[in-house]
Amino acid sequence: MNVLGELALWIALPVALLGTVLGFVAGRHQRGDLQLGAERSVYAVFGLTILASAGIISNFLNDRFEYLYTASYSNRELDVFYKVAGLWSGQRGSLLFWLLFLMLFSSICVWTNRNKNREFMPYVVGILGAVASFFLTILLFADVNPYEKLGFTPANGQGLNPQLQSYWMTIHPPMLYMGFTSFTVPFAFAIAALVSGRLDSRWIEVTRRWILLSWFFLAIGIVLGMRWAYEELGWGGYWFWDPVENASLLPWLSATAFLHSIQIQESRGMLRVWNMFLVILTFTLTIFATFLTRSGLIESVHSFAQELKIAYIFLSFLFVIVASGAVLILWRLPELKSDNQIESFLSREAAFLFNNLMLLGVLFAVLWGTLFPLISEGLTGEKISVGPPFFNRVNIPIGLILLALTGVGPVIAWRRASKQNIKKSFTVPVGVGLAVAGGLFAIGVRHGYALATFGISSFVMAVIVIEFFKGTRARARIENENWAIAFAHLIARNRRRWGGYVVHAGVVVMFSGIAGSSFNVNIRQTLEPGESAVIPSPLGHEYKLTYEGMSTTSATASNSNNNFAFQLVALLRVENDGKQLPTLTTEKRGYIAQDQPTTEVGIRSSFLEDLYVILSDVADLRSAIMNEPDAQTATFTFMVNPLVGWIWYGGMTVALGGLIGLWPSVSGAPVRAPVLSSARTREPVPVGAAGD
Amino acid sequence: MSVVVGTVLLVVAVIFFVLQPMLSGRRASLHREMDEPTEAESRQRFALLALRDVEYDHATGKLDEVDYRVLRGELAAEALTALERVNSEAAARLSGAPSGLEDEIARLRSGLRSGTTCAACGSGNDEGSSFCAYCGAPLRAAAGGPSSHGSPSGTA
Repeated sequence: MNVLGELALWIALPVALLGTVLGFVAGRHQRGDLQLGAERSVYAVFGLTILASAGIISNFLNDRFEYLYTASYSNRELDVFYKVAGLWSGQRGSLLFWLLFLMLFSSICVWTNRNKNREFMPYVVGILGAVASFFLTILLFADVNPYEKLGFTPANGQGLNPQLQSYWMTIHPPMLYMGFTSFTVPFAFAIAALVSGRLDSRWIEVTRRWILLSWFFLAIGIVLGMRWAYEELGWGGYWFWDPVENASLLPWLSATAFLHSIQIQESRGMLRVWNMFLVILTFTLTIFATFLTRSGLIESVHSFAQELKIAYIFLSFLFVIVASGAVLILWRLPELKSDNQIESFLSREAAFLFNNLMLLGVLFAVLWGTLFPLISEGLTGEKISVGPPFFNRVNIPIGLILLALTGVGPVIAWRRASKQNIKKSFTVPVGVGLAVAGGLFAIGVRHGYALATFGISSFVMAVIVIEFFKGTRARARIENENWAIAFAHLIARNRRRWGGYVVHAGVVVMFSGIAGSSFNVNIRQTLEPGESAVIPSPLGHEYKLTYEGMSTTSATASNSNNNFAFQLVALLRVENDGKQLPTLTTEKRGYIAQDQPTTEVGIRSSFLEDLYVILSDVADLRSAIMNEPDAQTATFTFMVNPLVGWIWYGGMTVALGGLIGLWPSVSGAPVRAPVLSSARTREPVPVGAAGD
Repeated sequence: MSVVVGTVLLVVAVIFFVLQPMLSGRRASLHREMDEPTEAESRQRFALLALRDVEYDHATGKLDEVDYRVLRGELAAEALTALERVNSEAAARLSGAPSGLEDEIARLRSGLRSGTTCAACGSGNDEGSSFCAYCGAPLRAAAGGPSSHGSPSGTA
């Protein structure tokens, strides 16, 4: 299996290169026979990549430690679960995993387009093949072959980083990778449109679902990453502006901008060059994100490698993408002219454009903050780290403007909005926002950004609720339906619009959750068994936590996971204003084959706040593990994190909105042309397949 | 040994899989299919969608009466222009390029006129044949009178 797996990689590279050449030649000379070969090569590389991936998983499952990759990320005792996940737990495997998803999506793209969009397909296949060839080149020639042998067979592997031994590990990276890789398809279609010269909105129409899919996976991946950080990293936060976190955020930001700006191209024939720019930018950022996280360029929790060869290959590829993208856009510039112009700054187009500029503002601030330490190190030899204060100072104000725009965009009409209508549409929502901010101020909230966030969030939420209400009412009236059916039909008939609103609602909830962190309580205290700590909640009540002592389990006794060397569990009795709550536990764990003990936090979640307890320090760890009664002194960090749960609820709402947008519409059902409500209308109403 | 055999088998299988369609002379289409929207059709669709938005904005009170009428008029005109283009393109497609079926009909017609097409089975025959080479029925030219174009077996 392993020999076959490695061999598969070596066969895949020439096949992918062949597919690339065949695709471009087929497109250039209109050779349908070569195109069939090119498409077959995509399937072939997919099959070979499956073989290669299966080989790696089999190496993990069979403890084949003669392979460097297996020896570095596994040990005999590791849970089977994490052995399978070994494919993406380290740099080498995850590059192969990237390729696996790329080929999965490439194959889906080729298969679903076997009878349509044929004028694009030769170049699409050529681009997909080129990206695959790039990753195969990295795998085979950049000293990151997951099949590299050690030359000897160690008795056991070095084990997996304990922070990665969490169930989030099995789901968070695949989501992000699916987000990164699926964006290759829209990119390939955009390039195909530029090369073939079919520059109308067809490529956007074809790839809109792919763009949404990619955005959806990225969003879920990012939120899952936040949740993972919150549970596993044990410092009470969920986002640290770590380069790896930033790397996943960057393509999501530009994809979000792109999702908005394509609507302007579709409805108004504008921003064609801008959309080309955004699609190339987003794809570049997905590669850049992979480069940052998988080249070892920036040290962080996630990056382990130090090789430079891979960095040069990545940088060359990034240069090729940017340069060829720029040349193609310049070449087609005359044909990418806009059909229309923005008529008024009080219009949805203008709001969307402004939204795009703000999103790119955040993007470049994050990019700059991420790259600055590298640039300064390169120029002065001194690595200056850029921490959360920089990111927060720049991004919070822009974030608030973006949040406000999510309330403005939906209500303002296309082309031009009259002042009177703006007044009519905004009076109630602005009133709600001001009332909420004023009310919070009255009860003593003085944090400026938090007040602004809650005020703006309430404004946007009011806009969305009113939109749903008005839409349902209008539909119920026009179609003579009852409200429940009118509501369901409203969403079903224009999933994009209403799915988008649901996403906005989720974003609003997330923002409120993030703003809640302005009121976090953080108290560190050393306790003996029997002693208590009193933690005031910002919501007015008090927690009393009584430390009851520690219990130890050794490796053999622990039945859940035989990869533990020890497990030291501290028990805390919790009272909320005198009312007894279930006991909380927080742990120190030692893993086999890992020196550093890790911390498992205790979290008690409620709708409005989380009580978060960290076993920060054990005075005498060795004696505590031996269960000596005098060695029970422990230092705890107690936190109360208001509204943190809203981030996860908001994340789920965003996912739901994404699903509404992605859900396939009933195919073939003709959608009626709009019912004109004026009785004086005489012109014939064209009835077409205006489905969405 | 088994590794070598496996390698060879895998390489051969992949090469065959990729090259097979090219060797068998099959071709993939590289043109727009008939059921895909043209640029004009897309424009018409987007104009209709925008019209739907305007209707919605009006129904929910975001657009006042004046703006609504102006915008609806503009969008309806856009949709109609696109529709006209769709229709004229469709007409051009129908008249411009005779399909294979029409070629076939034309060929059969001229064959019947010249007497080389068998009236019984519809098969084509060489000029000058008296009987159908496929079903044996006498051809009209043989049964009928002399040729009008100097062809020994043709009738006008």
